[in-house]
Amino acid sequence: MTFHDAATRDFPLFSTDACIKCNVCNTVCPVSRVTDAFPGPKYVGPQAQRFRGPSGSPRSPDHSVDLCSGCGICTRACPAGVLIAETNNRARAAIVADRGSSIRNRLISDTDLLIRLGSNPLAPLANLGLRSRPLRWIGERVLGIHRRGPLAPFSRRTFGSWWRKRRGATAAPPGADAARTIVYFHGCAVNGFEPDLGRDAVEILERNGFTVIVPRQECCGLPFISNGLYENARRKARANISSLAELARAGYRIVGTSTSCTHALKAEYREMLDLADDDARAVADATWDICELLVDLHDRGELDVELGPIAEPLPYHPPCQLKSHGIGTPAMDLFALVPGLRAVDSDHDCCGAAGTYGLKAERWQIAQDVGAPLFAKVRASGAARAACDSETCRWQIEQSSGVPTVHPITILAESYRRADADRGRTWRRVV
Amino acid sequence: MPFPMRSFETMPRADVVVIGAGLAGLACAAELAESGARVFLAAKGMATTHWTHGGLDVAAPAGSLTPRVGVRVLAAEAGHPYARVHAEVDGAVEAHRARLGRVGHLLVGSLDSPHTPIPTALGSLRPASILPSAQAAAAAPWADDGLLLIGFAGFRDAWPAYAARNLGAVEWPGGPRRISHAEVVLPGLERLKNLNARSLAVLFDDGAWRAEALGAIRRAVPPGAWRIGLPAVLGIADHARAHADVEEATGHRAFEIPSLPPSVPGVRLFDALRRTILDSGGRVQVGFDVVDVERNGQRIVAVHTEAAARTLRLAADAFVLATGGIGGTGIRGNPDGSLHERVFGLPVEAPPRAAWFSDDPLTPHPLESVGIRVDAELHPLDPAGQVAYENVRVIGSALAGMHYLEQRCGDGVALASAHRAARSLATERLAA
Repeated sequence: MTFHDAATRDFPLFSTDACIKCNVCNTVCPVSRVTDAFPGPKYVGPQAQRFRGPSGSPRSPDHSVDLCSGCGICTRACPAGVLIAETNNRARAAIVADRGSSIRNRLISDTDLLIRLGSNPLAPLANLGLRSRPLRWIGERVLGIHRRGPLAPFSRRTFGSWWRKRRGATAAPPGADAARTIVYFHGCAVNGFEPDLGRDAVEILERNGFTVIVPRQECCGLPFISNGLYENARRKARANISSLAELARAGYRIVGTSTSCTHALKAEYREMLDLADDDARAVADATWDICELLVDLHDRGELDVELGPIAEPLPYHPPCQLKSHGIGTPAMDLFALVPGLRAVDSDHDCCGAAGTYGLKAERWQIAQDVGAPLFAKVRASGAARAACDSETCRWQIEQSSGVPTVHPITILAESYRRADADRGRTWRRVV
Repeated sequence: MPFPMRSFETMPRADVVVIGAGLAGLACAAELAESGARVFLAAKGMATTHWTHGGLDVAAPAGSLTPRVGVRVLAAEAGHPYARVHAEVDGAVEAHRARLGRVGHLLVGSLDSPHTPIPTALGSLRPASILPSAQAAAAAPWADDGLLLIGFAGFRDAWPAYAARNLGAVEWPGGPRRISHAEVVLPGLERLKNLNARSLAVLFDDGAWRAEALGAIRRAVPPGAWRIGLPAVLGIADHARAHADVEEATGHRAFEIPSLPPSVPGVRLFDALRRTILDSGGRVQVGFDVVDVERNGQRIVAVHTEAAARTLRLAADAFVLATGGIGGTGIRGNPDGSLHERVFGLPVEAPPRAAWFSDDPLTPHPLESVGIRVDAELHPLDPAGQVAYENVRVIGSALAGMHYLEQRCGDGVALASAHRAARSLATERLAA
């Protein structure tokens, strides 16, 4: 390893000096593939970085960097090791720090607030609003949230309230075996929109012999990071780190079902938010994507592989944030264990949603164009459903292809239950 | 320590891990996957395919009339990679041609096609004999037809007027008698500010837009007999049809001239080879930088690639090093003037630092030829000349002893060494 390799993850901007202007990043960027308004990663990244000054001076020669969706494909394609997407994200944050942010961006980034407002017994009312064309039209005009932007309906009960009702552990029980206990990081999507996914995850982890604990947690902060609101993101990050660091140091693994949240905990707290102290590193090192964990179990011969048949085709889209984990496509490995399941990797760069990007009125069309070949592939597969590990990508694919899209864990949980049914038994679910 | 010892492993376990996604790594992974091996190709990034012209530079040292003769000349040089693998060239080139043909990517020309001067984007000439079909017309004999260089308004990586002027000034044996140029305004492009080769190629993939563009191109061709040279941007996914459409619409033969990077023919080549690996059940992962290696005596047990917060452990029976030389960043310089091979830390003989500099920028650079010394089976050798790792093969421009720019032998060495490595590993598997 060279000095350069070691330095870049803590100091992404240093890496821009390694750019040799080869243009590889410009051949893989999904945004510049569909819009001329975005000059491409090379120009807004390492090229423009040379002209960006410290606070108070002009932060960017060109604000087109704000069109970067943050998918990270450029960083992975770069042969010189430049952290291009990370550079772009920091450039956006610098612009936001100087010029402020829109109410819209602050609102759609504050998922904890949205869930407090929407995920409660009044959820049906909120969802009626989300489905109402006139209200969505007003939302687009007043707030700039596209009327057809993919928004999931609020759940009537949050995952947190289910967990409390279940009397699930929020701290490590005395004498707990750290190796057999999982700290579940549900993220805001499971909490407010898809609590069933969280229940499936808990069921699978318990079935494989783990005790699950769900400590106090907030949104990982990624929506704030993506919108350049680093101070808000740091508040979220610090709250999570202080809640999780001790468990991480005691050897507990932190497992998430959202590849976006887990990537924020693993990498973005350090690369974007400069949170690289011992606590932050302990949390990063302890964090696992759930499919990554299950494949790891399988490699050790510890995964329960009594899986029942699901004889159907399944288009699977590995989301960009998963690719940034650098762990390949563990969901595909798990699908291979399900008898009859014919999972096919979408082999498409990006669905376009990129978190909150595809919601914005002025970005919606770009996001649709980026994902269009994927939506066509999913539709052409004739499959009854598709799978994807990240929530906003799922919502985008589902809305734009018309094909219901689930997390790989949903498929796996179903396969386990199928095996139970075939053997005439039921997995005792504590409700 | 940025990479904790904790690691994660994919399943199923690979038989062979190929490191590097240039022509050598892609071709080797494809051949191994076709032979039934479970292959995992891990690459730090996308690479040299995207910088090259998409044809094959097999061997064109001074004085060689054909690639076959060129290979013979270079194979006689002590220490040249061809001294080891020249016998593989025929089989490797034909395997490459067949492999690409299966995904609709045709190569024209052979090892016996004479090196023919064809124009570059800057208006110089380069010797070529094996070309992608869309570039092949450049090498056909010139008769009465003149060369018409077409550029696209707003596209800054190809300057037909400049190229035409330069071509008029160079000695071009057997070249066209007339050279002209024209600039075409393509539909809708006047509103665009960020045209690059890839964005134009994406437009050419769109049938409806292409039909309009063909009309504009046709109108730019003056009366007379012409052969048309265009920037190599005629589609990515639908490139064969786009090229045929240009010839049909203009009524003239047309050829693509690779532009400044990014090279669209290179992107097509990468896509085609990646596709063949995936179709044969192999895996290709880009952005997987090897940061750690597990050794057991003379064997490599596993490599670890950088992953968020941990490493990905890739264990395999064998490993193929295809990470390139200095240019491909497989070999790096140290501040003290020594060199190191980046993945396995293999010994690299470096010329003394004083010899790195020359008054003539156009002579072959001494660092271009540094690389890994190997035996006949392409095992890396230690300084004593003994096999350093028995389950490692080294291929492509990571090999020592060639000046691939001057000798124009990089593609041929890549394919021939990839072929030798794949065959050597297949034999080993059968024996095991």
